[in-house]
Amino acid sequence: MIPLQYNVRSLAVRKTTTVATALGIGLVVFVLSSSMMLAAGIKKTLGVSGRPDTAIVLRKGSDAELGSTIDAAEVNRILGAPGVLRDARDKPVGAGEVVVVGAMEKLGANGVTNVQLRGVTDAVKDLRPEMRIVEGRPARPGSDEVLVGKRIKGRFKGVDLGQSFDLRKNRPAQVVGVFEAGGSSYESEIWVDLDALRAAYAREGGVSSVRVRLASAASFDTFKAAMEGDKAYGYLTLRESDYFEKQSEGTSLFINAMGTLVSVFFAIGAMIGAMITMYAAVANRQREIGTLRALGFSRTSILVSFLLESVLLALLGGAVGAGASLAMGLVKFSMLNFASWSEIVFAFEPTPRIILTALAFAGTMGLFGGFFPAVRAARVSPIMAMRG
Amino acid sequence: MTLVGLAARNVLRNKFRAALTILGVAVAVLTFMMLRTVVAAWNVGADYAVKDRLFTRHKITFVMTLPKRYITDLRAAPHVKVATFSNWFGGKDPRHDKEFFATLAVDSPTYFQVFDEYAVQPDTMKAWLEDPQGALVGDVLAKKLGWKVGDKVNLESGIFADKPEWEFHITGFYEAKAKSADRSTFLFHWEYLNKNIATRRQDQIGWMAARIDSPGRTADVGLALDKVFEEREVQTLSQDEHAFQTSFLAGFSAVLAAIDIVSVVILAIMMLVLGNTIAMGARERTNEYGVLKAIGFTGGHIAVFVLAEAMLIALLGGLLGVALAYPFVEKGIGRWLEENMGGFFPYFRIDTSVTVLALLLSLALGAAAAAIPAIRASRLRVVDALRRVA
Repeated sequence: MIPLQYNVRSLAVRKTTTVATALGIGLVVFVLSSSMMLAAGIKKTLGVSGRPDTAIVLRKGSDAELGSTIDAAEVNRILGAPGVLRDARDKPVGAGEVVVVGAMEKLGANGVTNVQLRGVTDAVKDLRPEMRIVEGRPARPGSDEVLVGKRIKGRFKGVDLGQSFDLRKNRPAQVVGVFEAGGSSYESEIWVDLDALRAAYAREGGVSSVRVRLASAASFDTFKAAMEGDKAYGYLTLRESDYFEKQSEGTSLFINAMGTLVSVFFAIGAMIGAMITMYAAVANRQREIGTLRALGFSRTSILVSFLLESVLLALLGGAVGAGASLAMGLVKFSMLNFASWSEIVFAFEPTPRIILTALAFAGTMGLFGGFFPAVRAARVSPIMAMRG
Repeated sequence: MTLVGLAARNVLRNKFRAALTILGVAVAVLTFMMLRTVVAAWNVGADYAVKDRLFTRHKITFVMTLPKRYITDLRAAPHVKVATFSNWFGGKDPRHDKEFFATLAVDSPTYFQVFDEYAVQPDTMKAWLEDPQGALVGDVLAKKLGWKVGDKVNLESGIFADKPEWEFHITGFYEAKAKSADRSTFLFHWEYLNKNIATRRQDQIGWMAARIDSPGRTADVGLALDKVFEEREVQTLSQDEHAFQTSFLAGFSAVLAAIDIVSVVILAIMMLVLGNTIAMGARERTNEYGVLKAIGFTGGHIAVFVLAEAMLIALLGGLLGVALAYPFVEKGIGRWLEENMGGFFPYFRIDTSVTVLALLLSLALGAAAAAIPAIRASRLRVVDALRRVA
């Protein structure tokens, strides 16, 4: 077995080539791990939004809260259904909410974008126990005071503590507080009093969706059967966690598909780079290889040694790329969610698994890129090589 | 033999390495063109925007409607040639739950006058106008869902749940005459919708669109219109088609920026691969450069050798990349995207300007990648060069 030290020193001797090749691989790994981190961030943001012990009722035929309407008169019927959790005073835990989008002027970038506004009642905290006010104070019920999610605070005109924006003409909404909700997509919403929002958006007499806390996660089937048994009403009943998973499907699929496609192409490019480098290394070191063979090292150990060198080179690049991608954790990425037509702010979510995958990917590139050059090295005839 | 001819022969010295490098450049060029095409396809709506078309919608949000009588004001406004309106129906075929397509309730007599990138044969149009439940659909959508003329189709709507399922008759297909036209839309009569919904939601329209008599006036007409409606019960926002599309794209600006960055990254990788090859070649030929200098070639000549070799490899790689990109993008992912995501990518094809850009960039980057080896080689002193063992 040829000591690893030999490969390390060989790489160090050809600094420029080593750096160029490793950087190429590093860039590939950077792009790959960044896109995986973003897809993970989207999954996480929309994933933590939903709870398995909460059910959401929509109008059949709509995919999202935005396109769904349920008559206000039906809300109490839904809350009274079996399987719904009741509080100490035997009141069902749940509420109808209105979801609309409003056009907001982006700060620091051109254009107007849609932000999701949610009309909420007192029950909002029972349905989302993770919600907490981090700045300011709660909104007074029945007023035009609103709360804004932590992630969109300050990104749009008027959407910051102490500022105001128009719900409709001559109807300003005062931002009195900023809330966080465990990193969920609610943090990209503005919460308005249900009646104020309905009045401003001419949605009196209806809600978008009804959310209920279930007595237990297992009572979902009972609740669903009660809801969908009556065909005349036409409801779609989902666990909240399933609902948000469906919401994230399109967007995270898109990011994943883009990321994978791009990474595969990049990888081919960088692999070719590694191959060129290793072929050159083999060609330049004919004499060395011949000497090693003459000293008694077998063809296999030469093969393994060159493969190791190539993998080492790739891992070096991979480590640089993966390290750099960790810095993306500081970046917030805002994009329109395909399902809700409103902007959601995502974070790049680094996980150990992504970093390991990225490094493994780099190693594989080194292995494949180095394979043919290593085979050529192993075939070097000691006599021919030393004769020069 | 010319200097460049000599450089070309140098490319063939290490055929295998040259081939690998060309392949590497080709892959980078292919990826670059694909990414640029994604960006271009995304912008296609804005790029092909009809300049004399004006959109008017609710000032705050597109989910709120306008009173139908606003269309009368719009039609009477100066410079407006023809105006139409429509409602987003949010329809879905319950038998094809996963398929997303746009369903619009349109003002039948005027819709195709305002949106003239869609054409309908006269007899198809006649049949459609005669059937109150008639629908016109795009050919891509019809093919995907297996609809034929005369079929009865039932759709669900989350927005208009007044009927659990709405029945339509496919009376024909419309034709798309422009690249930006979506071939997966479902169009039906607004009257059919209006007659069958709760009274309080009747006579409301989603948005209006008008053609203006001169493209330069579109924005002004919009401003004047918004001023008129400012004093009414519902305020409006009017934008020309370009602004309308751009504001929609603003939501994806981060994605587009990311794709932009990534397309630059691939160029950087390509430069590293190419630069590496050239540097290796130049190092191996140090002795020869010494000889050339000794017999009277100047540093400039040597630099031209190195640069010309790099640019030739880059150009060959670029040409191969372009040759691969066309079948890959247009026959492969492009066709898939047009069929399955027509709403977002109605037209996913390589633009000639992207091809030209890719070729020019590969030449420029070839030169840039070779700059350092070329300068180094040109500055070599004859003695050092001849003394050095490669």
